[in-house]
Amino acid sequence: MRLSATVRRTGLRAILPRWYQALPAWCWWLFFFVTPITWVAMASLGMKPIDPSRGAVVFDQLSLANYDAATGNVFFAVFLITIKTAGLGTLICFLVGFPVAYALATKVPVRWRTPLVFLLLLPYWTSFLLRTFAWRIILAPQGELSDLLRSIGLMSTPLMILDSNTAVQLGIVYNYLPIVILPIYVALDRIDPAFKQASMDLGAGRLGTFLQVTLPLAVPGIVGGVLLTFILAAGDYVVPAILGGAKGLMVGNLVALQVLASQNLPIGAAMAMVLIGLLAVVVTVVGTAAFGLRSIVRLVRGPAL
Amino acid sequence: MPGQHHDPVRLLLLTWMVLVFCFLFIPILVVVLYSFNGGRNLYVWTEFSVRWYGRAIDNPRVVSALFVSLEAALINALIAVSLGVPAGIALARRKGRWTLPFLALIFVILGTPELVSAIGQLIWFDRLGLYNGLLRLAIGHSLFNIAVVTLIVRARAEGLGEALEEAGADLGGRPLRVFLRITLPVMFPAVLAGGLLAFTFSFDDVIISLFVQRPGMTPLPVYILSSFKSVLRGDVAAIVVLTLLVSLVGILTAAALLMKGRAKTRTLQAGP
Repeated sequence: MRLSATVRRTGLRAILPRWYQALPAWCWWLFFFVTPITWVAMASLGMKPIDPSRGAVVFDQLSLANYDAATGNVFFAVFLITIKTAGLGTLICFLVGFPVAYALATKVPVRWRTPLVFLLLLPYWTSFLLRTFAWRIILAPQGELSDLLRSIGLMSTPLMILDSNTAVQLGIVYNYLPIVILPIYVALDRIDPAFKQASMDLGAGRLGTFLQVTLPLAVPGIVGGVLLTFILAAGDYVVPAILGGAKGLMVGNLVALQVLASQNLPIGAAMAMVLIGLLAVVVTVVGTAAFGLRSIVRLVRGPAL
Repeated sequence: MPGQHHDPVRLLLLTWMVLVFCFLFIPILVVVLYSFNGGRNLYVWTEFSVRWYGRAIDNPRVVSALFVSLEAALINALIAVSLGVPAGIALARRKGRWTLPFLALIFVILGTPELVSAIGQLIWFDRLGLYNGLLRLAIGHSLFNIAVVTLIVRARAEGLGEALEEAGADLGGRPLRVFLRITLPVMFPAVLAGGLLAFTFSFDDVIISLFVQRPGMTPLPVYILSSFKSVLRGDVAAIVVLTLLVSLVGILTAAALLMKGRAKTRTLQAGP
């Protein structure tokens, strides 16, 4: 019995790599993730068939014509708005979120940190739809906030923020705030207090220690958080669909319109490729690949896990 | 540090933190509160009532969408666990040249806009002739969630080491038996937590579902999104609050398991 088991194991080991336990996931991802992404790139070079029975995309001749259509005037305007909304949203998230991460990592008693970080992630991990719908109730022209602002004389007309780019901007900041805070918190939390003590002992003031010791050590977390927020915000579909109306469209909505509503999948695929291209450029420019990788892996593992 | 409690910077930072936490939670509480608003117009508070909940539960389309979501989330969680658990263990224990490309792929999967992978899956499933609505949803959601389970299990496996399994093998246990009787029970908190997170993420997913769904197999979030037409109805508010409850149960259980697992890891490491 023992012998045959040993023989079988050696037989298998000869074929399978040492890390065979990761092989199923690797194959699954190649088949259901890498292949589909490759198809997006290919579909962007194909064309929509005149005969609908031939499917959503055909490759009678490959061309870049879809990219012409995908970068036309309307798309380009929406594309600029998307970059602006995601960029400004990321900046606001960082400015609002950094002090929170700093307070969590340095000013809160240790035993409170993990529960508070969990509390921070709780809104992000539960219904995205609910959190976005919430702003339709809060910002409604006939709602309580609108009445309150008018009764204290801050405004003379009902609140008219909904169905505009402003509402989308607010929704983006609200939804992605935890995503920028978490990696910065993790980076700050890992800083050895001895570094700060040494800096103080050597005569640097509090501000000097913060600027010359704490901040540089937190850079990996800052880069990771900012990049991830920008990527998620630029590819968002739900927030503009619910809060933006006709005036607050983003790239995600145009892509969905092409692929799902007006059924020109190749043009939608080309738009998606332009979006990925932009994100790839941003990621490469803002941080080196290794830098971003480390932060994001760290982000996903998280302190609570 | 003496006098730390009177430090104005500390006070300012903590106040800001509390304000941001309020900003994060107040909108959620507003929806929960207004879902109990009995008035015809959801935005104007009139009276407390549960009538929207009654209407939501009576709607057969809501109930069928709920079941589609639950089934898809369950299949997705099973896929995520059965592929993610071994992958996480391998990442922690069989490090080598394969680790970096594997982690890079995980990073790409977590960082790719959902929109792009959703289009790809729509095309690929149609090419494959995979028209089973449940499987399309479950597979579509599983790609991200396998990565989540892998990372959670890796974190736990790295904390534990291999001593218990080695002891099991020395005592004559076969690899499969050692895996089932030792590895899996020790990993159980992480496995269950990963599965619950995978379930919750799938249950809440909008974008992948919107693209890969088939007629007659609409999951709940897509139904909610499509029934929203510039005015938010009371019954839609009630449904989103119900989905919040499902997610909360999943997330809180996962968190409790992970905390317990961490405590147990510490005792195991501190052992003789």
